Amino acid sequence: MAIIRGEQGSVQFDAAGSTNATIVGTRSWSLTTTKETLDVTDHGDTFRSFVGSLISGSGTVELVYDPDATGQAGFLEDVLTAADPADATFELFTTGSTTGSDSISFAGIITDMEISSTVGELVVVSCNFITSGAITGNLE
Amino acid sequence: MAALDLNTVRATIEGRLATELASAPSIPVVFHNMAFSPTPNSSWVQCLTSFGTNEYLSQGGTSNSQNRVNGVVVINIFTAVGVGPGANYVIGKRIRDLYNRVNVSGVFFDAATGPEALASPVPEGYFQTQVRVTFESIEGL
Repeated sequence: MAIIRGEQGSVQFDAAGSTNATIVGTRSWSLTTTKETLDVTDHGDTFRSFVGSLISGSGTVELVYDPDATGQAGFLEDVLTAADPADATFELFTTGSTTGSDSISFAGIITDMEISSTVGELVVVSCNFITSGAITGNLE
Repeated sequence: MAALDLNTVRATIEGRLATELASAPSIPVVFHNMAFSPTPNSSWVQCLTSFGTNEYLSQGGTSNSQNRVNGVVVINIFTAVGVGPGANYVIGKRIRDLYNRVNVSGVFFDAATGPEALASPVPEGYFQTQVRVTFESIEGL
């Protein structure tokens, strides 16, 4: 058994979808994956039946803001991409940063970015995203 | 970036105080683990820098990650006894202004506390007040 602590995680990203790089200063990430269902209940059935249909995902990445941190600017400003072709690639790691290991990867779109500055606290940035296309799980 | 050099942080803190108190009117200042024999009824300052709790600031392992290193500077101000607090508070203001909400060399000082008068001075024979300033520094690995 190997329990994983949150600080072991990381996020890699590339706005152009070529080579993902670690975003320094990541504080947390989350991903919710949803599968739609189709009702295939026949006349005469007593119980409803379903089959799985389209799969989609959405989530959040939170950063401790540092304008000089590797990868942050490209990530935060991707929300400004007009007519976004969903070419950005993400890989969310539960531990480490070895591509294809302990991670979930996908292409996606950053849909909103919020930066907040409060007296006595660090400046933090929160970005929400949705997935586009296949979601590949490497969580085994 | 690299692991935080604690002596660099300490030098930032103590250097500011040493420079300030070396200027007129100069006042002797002593730091942790230094021998010092104060002159009776004179003014002098003791600066004690301590590092405290550290915490994760970001994800990542021993690289591409950040920690927050917290600490506190306790500065004891000693002046002649029996002549009121004025001279002591003059020194206290000089010291408070050195750190109050200052961000220098990557060390973030919070709002300063004090100078607070202490009922039982250590060592005895002085009027003692204390200025305390918490600080934090970000360690990038």
